[in-house]
Amino acid sequence: MLLRFTARRLLQLAPVLVLISLMIFSIMHALPGDPVQLMLAGAESGSVTPERQEELRQAMGLDDPLYVQYLRFVGGAVTGDLGTSVRLREPVTDLILARLGSTLALSLGGIIIAVVIGLSTGVLAALRQGTWIDTASMVFANIGVSVPLFWLGLVFILIFSFRLGWFPPAGQDGLRSLVLPSLTLGLVSAGVISRLTRSSLANVLALDYIRLAKAKGLPDHVVYLRHALRNALVPVLTIVGLQFGAMLSGAVVTETVFSRPGLGRLVVQAILWQDYPLVQGIVLFMATSYVLVNLVVDISYAWLDPRIRDGEAPA
Amino acid sequence: MRALLVLITVSALSAACGPGTPRVDSDEAHLILAWDGSREPASLDGHIEPYQPGWLIDSFIADPLVALGPDGDYVPSLASAWSSSETATEWTFTLRDDVTFQDGTPFNADAVKYNVERILAPETQSAEMAAHVGPVARVEVVDDVTVVLHYEVPWVTVLDAFRRVPIWSPTAAEKWGLEEFHRHLVGAGPFLFDEYVPNDHVTLVKWEDYGGWSSMSRGGPAQLDRVTIRFIGEKAVLGNVVKTGDAHVAMNVPATYIEDYRDASGFSLVTGFQAGTGLSMTMNTRAPPWNDVNFRRALLIGTDQQAINDLLYDGNFLVTDGPLNEIHPCYWDGNKDYYPYDPDRAIALLEGVGYEDRDGDGIREAHGVDGVEDGTPLRVRWTILHYAEIGEAVQAQWRAIGVDLVVEMIPGPVQLERVNQRDFDLMYERQRSPDPMLLDMVWNSAHDVVGGWSWSGFVDEDLDSVVEQLRVVPDANARCELAKRAQEIVMDNALMLPTLSEPIFYAVSDRVVDFVLSSEGQFFFLHNTKLED
Repeated sequence: MLLRFTARRLLQLAPVLVLISLMIFSIMHALPGDPVQLMLAGAESGSVTPERQEELRQAMGLDDPLYVQYLRFVGGAVTGDLGTSVRLREPVTDLILARLGSTLALSLGGIIIAVVIGLSTGVLAALRQGTWIDTASMVFANIGVSVPLFWLGLVFILIFSFRLGWFPPAGQDGLRSLVLPSLTLGLVSAGVISRLTRSSLANVLALDYIRLAKAKGLPDHVVYLRHALRNALVPVLTIVGLQFGAMLSGAVVTETVFSRPGLGRLVVQAILWQDYPLVQGIVLFMATSYVLVNLVVDISYAWLDPRIRDGEAPA
Repeated sequence: MRALLVLITVSALSAACGPGTPRVDSDEAHLILAWDGSREPASLDGHIEPYQPGWLIDSFIADPLVALGPDGDYVPSLASAWSSSETATEWTFTLRDDVTFQDGTPFNADAVKYNVERILAPETQSAEMAAHVGPVARVEVVDDVTVVLHYEVPWVTVLDAFRRVPIWSPTAAEKWGLEEFHRHLVGAGPFLFDEYVPNDHVTLVKWEDYGGWSSMSRGGPAQLDRVTIRFIGEKAVLGNVVKTGDAHVAMNVPATYIEDYRDASGFSLVTGFQAGTGLSMTMNTRAPPWNDVNFRRALLIGTDQQAINDLLYDGNFLVTDGPLNEIHPCYWDGNKDYYPYDPDRAIALLEGVGYEDRDGDGIREAHGVDGVEDGTPLRVRWTILHYAEIGEAVQAQWRAIGVDLVVEMIPGPVQLERVNQRDFDLMYERQRSPDPMLLDMVWNSAHDVVGGWSWSGFVDEDLDSVVEQLRVVPDANARCELAKRAQEIVMDNALMLPTLSEPIFYAVSDRVVDFVLSSEGQFFFLHNTKLED
């Protein structure tokens, strides 16, 4: 049953990916500006002749019809060839792989912090509903989801780097340099996870089988951990997966504030350079990663909750 | 699947743990330069890279043929002498005979020939540098130490070009090819290329065999053991890294942080400027009311640049009053008082053109302006890439004379699109060069084509003829005289609104000694720089 579910979801992926590639390609080519002119920005008008500009345009394949360029893009993507960066003159796939490690490290660090803080505050709030712990946890969660990433990052730099000197303010300088960016990225997601954990656990705690477990005289920790939390975590797992996907594809601000050499910074540069192949390649990679993380979440959700794979709506 | 997971985990862990960027408190003489991340070059190979930051990094690894010294003169580097034919179609360089590249390859006329031909080769796809080097018909190797560049047309900016061209080892360039060479740079400069981690840092190490060939060197190898250039993505971090001890020098420190370094103990603030146009606004003279010179003059007279400089930047920027800024070697003094701030006169000029405020809303409307429908409010667009605050300050000043200024900040690609369609009123334009030929680039109507840099739409035979000569007259003094005449014509016709020239602020730790700026403030020399305890 699970295999069939997985196969069905995999099949659904294909049109999603085609649509994504089409959207990315269309948006990039709808943007104003000519990459050749941008490349020549600063060159003397009298020296770079229109013929030379045309030569460059041909060399980059920009004079081909749009559908040819699109088919070349998709055909290459299928075989792992995302083209060559106009400005960096390196294969886009190589450029992505070179920076993937940094973004993965940041995303992993961020999600670990998000899960640890989000789960613990959410569980505490659910178990101590109506108390000051509940209020404090939810205030923290609301702040987490409301605070802009760049502001939080700058505040951390100001306090922990400039004032206290505990962590470097920029760069990729070993594990110490990972702490502040991970904390920045993680705290925002922690707020989301915390709120969902609280509401999910609070709902489960109100169900009859929990009352029955308590009536049977089971110790609190068994009731909460074995019976309540396990079931309450199913929707939380979804949100953790989605948050991780978002971190992989959305670490742009954090990487810029902390000057980390990841995919986010690369895509910002690529946009500024209007480097079509590079922007297309990175965005396609990010979108595909997000879709795949979603797929993993869906499958694990179905694995944990048989009602999903059987096509039933959960109660 | 398991292998993929292992690969991803190892990749993430290795990224998390290193490579570590060396820190300031290292034992060796290790200079750390903090660099605005937005200025990180795409390629470190200056033959390909079209922007100045890449050429600056190259200058630490590869001495050029000539250098532009702190006082604005061209001084010998790998070339000991040079001369031009009267027509500026032949340039002869006499080379030093005692230089070898960092990989042992001898430096000679063949090496220069190789570099010039590499830049001009179509497969290099060099846009900017090929344009600077110009239409070389052939490179003649006379002997080991003499090389002649033969041009198809007079080419007077050869020295300005070759102060920027890194001279690479032909052996290394051939070995690595166009794709890989920028990660294996080999020149004949004071530092060896060590490592480049994109978006993070570049590391250079001292070349022990450097012979001090540049005039900027006091002789022998550099004093620094290692130089790390760190690319900082966040301006608030860039503004603080020297203060916090995370770097020795920060380049392009944002103006908001400079007071922290001025007169501060342990640091100093070094300010450089670049010769050129400054942050100027080109007027589109094609359509009414912009085709009326008095309308354009009114806007110039109604703008108080000094007040804007004081208000926004505590007077730290340079007020620019003409097509070239004051630090340009060919600046024309007459710019100074050409359009003194006088709002009453500006109002009188606007009324003379036909703009009056009859409805009393503070903004003038057209009443008998040629080509403009009566009643049309006087609204103009100020289109820029950055420094929106200058536009906003002008907006306030122009409101006082009844002009409604709309400030629109757009990204570079949109600017190019607008310029191509000539869809603008006042368009931001900044060109930087100590050579006056940029006046030809900006004001010669022959360059008013798509992809060109002449945007005003103004056609004047006299102006075209004067600036055209800047392409063929090699004598520096004669060129400056022509440039001054061109500035006068531009000012008389009020074709642009000069604003300010941005400084380049460097925050420098007091431990850094002999940090020397070029006369072009975006360039500096590390040949003699030391770190003291």
